[in-house]
Amino acid sequence: MQIFKNLRRSTLLRSGVAALALAAVSAGSAQAATTLVETGSSLLYPLFNIWVPDFTAANPGIQLTTTSTGSGAGIAQSIKGLVQIGASDAYLSDTVVQKNPNMLSIPLAISAQSVNYNLPGMAGKHLKLSGPVLSDIYMGKITMWNDPKIKAMNPGVALPAHVIIPVHRVDGSGDTFIFSQYLDASTPAWHTALGFGTTISWPAVQGGLGANGNPGMVSAAAANPYSIAYIGVSFKAQIDKAGLGTAALKNADGKFVLPTTETVNAAASSLATSTPVDERISMIFAKGPEAYPIINYEYAIINASQPDATTAKAIQTFLTWALTTGNDAKYVSQVNFLPLPPAVVELSKSQIARIQ
Amino acid sequence: MKLKPFRLSVLGLSLLIPAALGAVVLFLAIYAAPAVSFNGFGFVSRITWDLGNLYGDPVSVRGVQVPPGASYGILVFIVGTLLSSFIAILIAVPLSVGAAIFLAESVPAKIRPILSLLVELVAVVPSVVFGLWGIAVLIPLMAGYIGPGLSHLLGFIPFFAGGDTGSGYGLLTTSIVLALMITPIIATTLLDALMQVPKENRESAFALGATHFEVVSKAMLPMVRTTLIGGIVLALGRALGETMAVLMVSGGAINIMPQNIYSPVSTIASFIVSQLDSAEQDPTNMAVQSLAEIALVLFIITLAVNAGAKLLSSGVLNGRSKH
Repeated sequence: MQIFKNLRRSTLLRSGVAALALAAVSAGSAQAATTLVETGSSLLYPLFNIWVPDFTAANPGIQLTTTSTGSGAGIAQSIKGLVQIGASDAYLSDTVVQKNPNMLSIPLAISAQSVNYNLPGMAGKHLKLSGPVLSDIYMGKITMWNDPKIKAMNPGVALPAHVIIPVHRVDGSGDTFIFSQYLDASTPAWHTALGFGTTISWPAVQGGLGANGNPGMVSAAAANPYSIAYIGVSFKAQIDKAGLGTAALKNADGKFVLPTTETVNAAASSLATSTPVDERISMIFAKGPEAYPIINYEYAIINASQPDATTAKAIQTFLTWALTTGNDAKYVSQVNFLPLPPAVVELSKSQIARIQ
Repeated sequence: MKLKPFRLSVLGLSLLIPAALGAVVLFLAIYAAPAVSFNGFGFVSRITWDLGNLYGDPVSVRGVQVPPGASYGILVFIVGTLLSSFIAILIAVPLSVGAAIFLAESVPAKIRPILSLLVELVAVVPSVVFGLWGIAVLIPLMAGYIGPGLSHLLGFIPFFAGGDTGSGYGLLTTSIVLALMITPIIATTLLDALMQVPKENRESAFALGATHFEVVSKAMLPMVRTTLIGGIVLALGRALGETMAVLMVSGGAINIMPQNIYSPVSTIASFIVSQLDSAEQDPTNMAVQSLAEIALVLFIITLAVNAGAKLLSSGVLNGRSKH
């Protein structure tokens, strides 16, 4: 019997088909499975994709459907009650929370963003760039790679005398949100002129390009020598495959750091204690000598008052699973995310307890 | 009297389509009304599109709540839409007229159905496939060869000159992709019409000693002119409204007018899709309402262009018949 049990368990864990079969059996015998629908952030989508088979295997009474649309859609559809879980790279704004006091922003994991460039002959070298320099590039004030401001940061690097092609997202995007927050926090001129948001009224830069989605950013940067782009770290494999360089960015302490597990962790832990109870906080430009400046919480946008207790319970079950088992490195590191610090997990858990 | 129930039901059914169209326009107009009053006429003449600070507290402007700094202008997208469709038609018309004449005149009757089926198949390829082809094949070609080549050969024409012929993402690439998508529409409608031209016309022209070229250009094409224009109008409708393929290859211009045919552009339809996600985060809803207003503008443009084409075609025909 023990052998059979073990066999059955391991097959279950490995195979989504078996899990579905069991879900069907238990649904037939006991009650119908509760269905949860998730939509939103394309950056979070790969993580949900990894989570779903294992979560449903462990919780056969709950069916979880995930789709990738965009952070804005995730927020809007969650508020309208069309989906139970909205995924977003950005937290809810003050105005939205005032209008919808039941809406919660619950962090699930930590993501980061890299600034990448396509510079022929610079393979393997990391350029140093700062917020003000990136602002100038995206505002069209710095147009050449060998601009004195870039040279001053990168002594000894042979920078080409070529026009810079800044690439930005055309679709509404959490990546634009955190990138513009970095420029906003580090550059007063950007703050007054453009601010931050999931979409920016990009200044007219001759030769500048718009690309659709993170995959579009990678291919636009790869296809255009002398381009620069900002891309979510969950696309690191594609970035490396395309041969793009990754910039070391100037952080709040004035040091240039690359997006690595250590630097993202340093930034995350420096903010763990200052995260407020409702967990809506910008993680950009965190203090600390090793802190990487562009990181963010990946949020689940949830309505605290659900139409029925069964749905509320199912949402709680899933979110709790995502924060415990689902935060294991074996899941999050596959998409180059980082687990939440323990203090933040506790905050998220007390928010989850509000769902009913 | 006996026909009455039949007539009534047919009348009802035939009214359904215009009614649906009217309902869509009415809905759009009602939904966009606050945006129309906020944006004013400057909407179509301003270059800058700015959703404002969606994370700031909404401010009251002229009695409407909007995010601070919000300002909506769509001239860039109107220009992008008209230019890309216009150039696409310029490329597609000679291609499709040539293809239709070839299929009607120079292909054995046995092979014709197969070839014409192939042309029709191009029309049903999903637009996202065209977009992917554009990214994978056309854009590298455009950036590496076609753009610099055109600039070198035709640089004396202002719009073709460009010190920098860009990245391959842009107006000309968009137009070529659009042209490929609409060529089969024009070609198949024209082919059907050419096949309907009475044999006698053709044969008597030959009997009078006309060359093959003269037969086609003088005896056949004049008879199908109306169909050709009808096909172009259909194709124009498709080109003006095409979304996905354009989004993938246009370079997504915002706040900047195209400088030459290599410049990035945005069309109205592709811009709506790309902005909807962010617009939905606007707590005042003004951004979505402004997108609805753009949709209204696209509808008016499509209507105006089609009406213009119809007028032009009847004018051309009348002018001909007076001779």
